[in-house]
Amino acid sequence: MDEEPSSYERVAYKNDSVYHYMKICLIFGNERKPLSAEQFKQLIISGLKELYGEVGAAFPFDVLTFDQFVLSAILRVYNNGLVKLWSALTLIGSCENESCAFRVTQVSSSVSKLILVLKSTGTSCRSL
Amino acid sequence: MVRIKYRYLLCEVCVSERSGLQMLAERPIYDALRAALGKAHGAHGAALLSVGSSVTYVNAYTGVVLLRFRKAHYRLLWSALPFVTSIWSRGQKVPCFFNCVHIGGTIRTCQKFLVRYSRQQLCRMLPHCKTEAEKQEVRRAVLSCSLNKFREEEEDNDFGEDGEETEA
Amino acid sequence: MSSHLEKCARSLLVCEKSSFMNEASRHETHVCKHSFNYKISVLIPECGVLPADIANVISHFKSYFLVRDLPVYKFLDAKFLDTVKKGGFYALSYKTRIDEDNVVALLSSGHLVLSLDKDTYQQLGLEGKPSEYKHRKDMRYVVTVDLTDKSLVPGTKRFQQVLLSLKERVPLKSDFLLTRCPPGAEEDGELQALLSQHTYEECRPTVISRSLTDIPRPSLHPSDLRGNAHSCTPVQFLEWLGSVNLNIRCNNSASSFLSTYVCPEPCATVNKVLLCTVTGFIPPEDVYALLQELRRCLAEPGFTDWVSLTVHGFADSPVSWGAAEHGFLKGGENFYNLVCFKNQDYWLHMATGSQDGCPP
Repeated sequence: MDEEPSSYERVAYKNDSVYHYMKICLIFGNERKPLSAEQFKQLIISGLKELYGEVGAAFPFDVLTFDQFVLSAILRVYNNGLVKLWSALTLIGSCENESCAFRVTQVSSSVSKLILVLKSTGTSCRSL
Repeated sequence: MVRIKYRYLLCEVCVSERSGLQMLAERPIYDALRAALGKAHGAHGAALLSVGSSVTYVNAYTGVVLLRFRKAHYRLLWSALPFVTSIWSRGQKVPCFFNCVHIGGTIRTCQKFLVRYSRQQLCRMLPHCKTEAEKQEVRRAVLSCSLNKFREEEEDNDFGEDGEETEA
Repeated sequence: MSSHLEKCARSLLVCEKSSFMNEASRHETHVCKHSFNYKISVLIPECGVLPADIANVISHFKSYFLVRDLPVYKFLDAKFLDTVKKGGFYALSYKTRIDEDNVVALLSSGHLVLSLDKDTYQQLGLEGKPSEYKHRKDMRYVVTVDLTDKSLVPGTKRFQQVLLSLKERVPLKSDFLLTRCPPGAEEDGELQALLSQHTYEECRPTVISRSLTDIPRPSLHPSDLRGNAHSCTPVQFLEWLGSVNLNIRCNNSASSFLSTYVCPEPCATVNKVLLCTVTGFIPPEDVYALLQELRRCLAEPGFTDWVSLTVHGFADSPVSWGAAEHGFLKGGENFYNLVCFKNQDYWLHMATGSQDGCPP
């Protein structure tokens, strides 16, 4: 416990995080469909397959959290899949013949930063 | 001067029955390629194919096909080539696969390679000949192009080396 | 595979290891330079309820004011100028976006920073410099006016020029968040008096405490910042910290369809973890007071080995640390995290997104 005070050390990492995190939510045009987390992920995967095919869509991503009531989720994706995932999310337009859209609320290279959006006040994520 | 760079893929179409080669044409090959890209690389892949790509040359006798892609994304398009398993032509399905033998920066380098490649193929055909007449025929062909070889080399020296850009 | 699809914008993470006892330790400057703090979260392992001393410090955090439609030239008001010159005054325009709107911020040093789009900049006629973060053409400009400057007192030519620009050429106005942390005596009434002719509301920072039970926790070793031997790497640690904050499950199997996130190795399970978050417009002075209190609590016997203090900046603030320009691009992240150990060592992680200079 009683160690010498450590010496000063400074390390700078550039692009050290291999992941990007996205906070997204799904909105429906008319009628809301009840979705499970698995169906939600499947919807994203099918969107990826449509845009990038079987080879292009074969990269892993994680659904870290999923809220069934507001249909919002936090995704974790490798850096090299971020652009693909984001573009595929943008182009997903329907879910089981019901028009829908994904809103990307925030994107960050560290999940700590995403805390910002999770708050109870319900105002815009980018300001208070 | 700035020009758009292309890559030319020299491919052999391998079919099980030789009669299938007669069915080859630019449009069916392009369509088959687009279908394979759509499956492997989705709408993004198919969109890349529609920019600046074409089937430049088809030889319905030998099954040699020259495909032209933009240099920027030829690797992605190339990767879909093994997924072409059949070509629909004139309402018939021709099972086939593509064997890419050379990638060149210009049609000229592809043509040179094709000549060299065909000559080698002739030599390889020799041991497979069954009758004496066939052997004679192949020998004659080999000899005739060996003479051409000398002539060609002289020409090459005259023009110098140009447009020789290949990429593995 | 096309490489242009796999590129993504750069992010920076600077880690420092030092001791609070160290003479040259810069923890105070780091905390005080990060002017606009949106959210603080304190994580205390092995602790069920928030210690009374810490709760007391948090309850003494300054209130902040949300003022509606405040014209920017009001900052040049003689009374305001006096207040600003005393220091400890923070203002930031509210619900303005750094990549599309005009954003105004007032730092405690008395610098008024205006991050403007091209049209406004050209109409305004104040000298500024183009934003560092641009695509091809300069579309954004940053104007800095030093309000404590001697040439900027009512009556001088320079003052008239600035006033004319902000009052008549472009009457910039916006909702503002204001807070004041006077270095000396408490003068709470002062701000209210200044704001009396505007609609405003006084807000208190929101405090939420949560107690989590039975969660895996990575083991940390004070001397091992890079995580070579005993502990996890800084990136992994921050990821874990975020996962605790966001209630992310970390007991996934490697073959799970949904998520494969797991707590970094080596880890141990803790019975309870206390997570306290404070949201608001928090001046750095308050953050520093909280840090001092956490250090004092750590010194007490029976308290945990380490605590972590994470401070997030506003994503749309025009500055991050000091007067360094800040941009949004796709995340606008700027935050720092302090891990304090029992032996008065600390780790400091500072992270920024792509449109930000290297943290100091």
